[in-house]
Amino acid sequence: MGASVRALRALLLLAGFYLLGLAMLAVLAGVDWAAALWAPSSLAVKLYVVSALLAVPIVRGMFMLRTPKDDAAHGVLVTDAQEPRLWQEVRELAAQVGTRAPDEIRLTADMNASVSEEARFLGLLGGTRRLHLGLPLVSGLTEAQLRAVLAHEMGHYGNADTRLSAITVRGRVQVARTIAHFEERAGGKVAKERARQERKNEKKLAKGKKAKEVDTTGVGLTYRSMAKVYKAYGHFYLRATLAGSRRQELAADLAAARIAGRDATASALREIPALDSAHDFYMNAYATLGVGAGLLPPPGEVFGGIRHLLAARAGELAELRRELPTEPASPYDSHPPIAERVARLEALPDDGRASEPAGPALGLLADPGAALVAVEQASLTPEALRLRRVDWPELVHVSMTAHFAQEAEPLRRATAEVTDGDGSLDALLNALDLGVGWEIADRLPKSDQAGAAKGRAAREFARPVLRRGLSRMVAGELIDRGAARWELSWSESASLRMPPGHEDDLPAALDAAVADHPDTAPLRRLLATV
Amino acid sequence: MSMEVTRVIVIAVAVAVGVLVYRRIAGAPPSRGAAAAAREAEALGLLPASRQNTMVSGPDPELERALAAAAARGDWEPAARLLAATRERRDWQRRTRYADLLGDAAAEGDGAWLDAWEAARPDDPDAAVVRASSTISLAWLLRGGAWAKDTSAEQFAGFHRVLARSRDEIARAAELVPDDPTPYVFEIRPALGFGYPHDEMHRIWKEITNRDPYHFGAHTGALQYWYAKWRGSKELAERFTEEAAAAAPLGTLLKALPLIAWWEHHDDDAKAADFRSPRLVALVDAALADVAAAPPDHPNVPGVRHLLAYYLTRQGRFEAALEQFRLVDGYVGAFPWSCYSDPGAVYCRWRDTAVRGARRGR
Repeated sequence: MGASVRALRALLLLAGFYLLGLAMLAVLAGVDWAAALWAPSSLAVKLYVVSALLAVPIVRGMFMLRTPKDDAAHGVLVTDAQEPRLWQEVRELAAQVGTRAPDEIRLTADMNASVSEEARFLGLLGGTRRLHLGLPLVSGLTEAQLRAVLAHEMGHYGNADTRLSAITVRGRVQVARTIAHFEERAGGKVAKERARQERKNEKKLAKGKKAKEVDTTGVGLTYRSMAKVYKAYGHFYLRATLAGSRRQELAADLAAARIAGRDATASALREIPALDSAHDFYMNAYATLGVGAGLLPPPGEVFGGIRHLLAARAGELAELRRELPTEPASPYDSHPPIAERVARLEALPDDGRASEPAGPALGLLADPGAALVAVEQASLTPEALRLRRVDWPELVHVSMTAHFAQEAEPLRRATAEVTDGDGSLDALLNALDLGVGWEIADRLPKSDQAGAAKGRAAREFARPVLRRGLSRMVAGELIDRGAARWELSWSESASLRMPPGHEDDLPAALDAAVADHPDTAPLRRLLATV
Repeated sequence: MSMEVTRVIVIAVAVAVGVLVYRRIAGAPPSRGAAAAAREAEALGLLPASRQNTMVSGPDPELERALAAAAARGDWEPAARLLAATRERRDWQRRTRYADLLGDAAAEGDGAWLDAWEAARPDDPDAAVVRASSTISLAWLLRGGAWAKDTSAEQFAGFHRVLARSRDEIARAAELVPDDPTPYVFEIRPALGFGYPHDEMHRIWKEITNRDPYHFGAHTGALQYWYAKWRGSKELAERFTEEAAAAAPLGTLLKALPLIAWWEHHDDDAKAADFRSPRLVALVDAALADVAAAPPDHPNVPGVRHLLAYYLTRQGRFEAALEQFRLVDGYVGAFPWSCYSDPGAVYCRWRDTAVRGARRGR
């Protein structure tokens, strides 16, 4: 099959995607027309109602086929004057790929780089081209690697030999996007319904009535079933075009290798999954660590802080680079598995470009620090922007202290209930000495198995829970007295720094306090020396 | 007229469906045969399921008294006397059995009687061996009996934490009575739980067999280790039982081991004919001869009788089965019944099958 035949088929398939809605409406209309002619009028009226109900999501669905506008442009727009080196680099790459350079470059907070096009005329014609460049990605790549990534992305739109096959790519993006949009819409309906029912329940509870189970089955059903129809067509579309798309991906890889060098392209591909998981981890464990305590890292560090993590965990990253995903990321992903792409690239003959200088890609920006701050301003929500900014060590100390206090809360409350006091550490230690520790432990949250256990087994289930709560309360006490402090580490978990000797003696002291014959003396001695 | 007939048929079908659905939901009532067999069993002086003791495998008044005294009054002295006697007589098989059962009892309750025993006699070697046993038992209570995939992280954490404690206690018990194989028999349990390598298991096995080469409880414990579900394989388990059965003199009960391994590997999907295969009949005959030759006070004789009673019933040798059932009736704390959640009911079902079969055969 020649390139033009393939492209024609892709065009028909894409057109079919739009015709699907019209065809379904035509079927409904046909049924109604037949009913009007031959069915008794009572049945015909019922049919009209049913077909009208079915037509609503179809019609709305057809409007949804338009590319949602909101995801077209986001991030910080940078002009030629602001980032001359970046623009120059991008223009050169576009020229080498043989395509029109993007009209806009936008810096984003994603671990990603993408070239998008504001499609016109049902996605058949191109429009404004945008390059979205995620600063976290830029932070993790060398200049040569970034060049490889951009060359690959632009290659999708500009493979001059297969000019029409761009329709396939564009069609696939469109199909995947439409399906995602449908599902989001159905999901949104469910979320809305859930929120509505929960609000209702809250009101009921406030009036002292029993709340109903939140039930969202059936909500968004018409949208879900529409999504199903389009999804089925989408699968068909993908099956019909996938082999070609994968070939194109590999061709884009080859183009990138030609432009940016074999080794830079292969290493960029190895780098991306590693950076992806590092980014997820960084956002969870560092950037948003303090959100519960109302804190964010200093300006520019929310997305830029990943630099410290990448520098400190070189060994783990090397590990990740070795284990490449052998499965495609999603069924709609036209990319062959990364392992396969890397293997093909690394099988190319050596182009002698491995020794080219590899400065950090952030160096392409005029002022990386200012760019990171600007991206933060553009992508954080107003609520997030109002959080207090503190430096990293303080952020870790305050957040972890708050986190521990929260973990100690059930034990504090149980102690207060049993001893009829304030639930302080002192009250807990006295209670342990008096042998009521197990009564307190009994009030802590339990698993099913722990709840079902009796006698000694129940105590063994409770012991680690009690010990953990006690250790949290002891840590809180040491921190309050200024004797302990949480310490930030970019290479491992945060750790609680204690006075010399305490770290070694504390585990045994905690064990003794929750033993069958509790002995709080070692713990009291430790606390007395600070 | 035809309308009438149709109506009758429809009603009949509806009633039949209703009955079927009801029985599906409520469970089939015991068939008339089963109820009659239960009455016959009662007439023979055999006990109903509700009166079967699930803790032990056969009558042992002294042990039952010791268990009852500990449970009811926290009185540890009968237990202490019982174990001291086994030590003085160097009756290691009985010592293992008693320490095992007393340990179970101490783990299931609050274990206060064991604490009191240790407080009263800090260096008592008998309390030490019960302590090790009860810690192991407690570890297994925390784990539960489900497959690993259905066991929670919390259960595993508790299991490993408590099982780790048993290691020192086992070592201490072994130090206090150096000739006693019991602590080493108990060491097989951490070997299972922690997945000791085969070398380590061979070391434990040597410690045991140097002290008592034909210890029945040690063999059934080690067999667990050699099953595929723990650290061995079907082949290793079968080789272990065959070698032990071949090497053991008559009267040591070890000829019954292959029957235990057969149950583990085949019982779930065995057909009636499989039980009557010449090989299995020969295995049962060998075990019968072994029991007949065993000293009547061998502590594991009742356990083997339960096993034989089951196999003889499955082989349609009802008279012989009934003979075994009569000798152990009233106690069901034995393999294979203890593998089910309601050992008494399973036991009575097979016993009553034997009763019915024996009557028909007469």
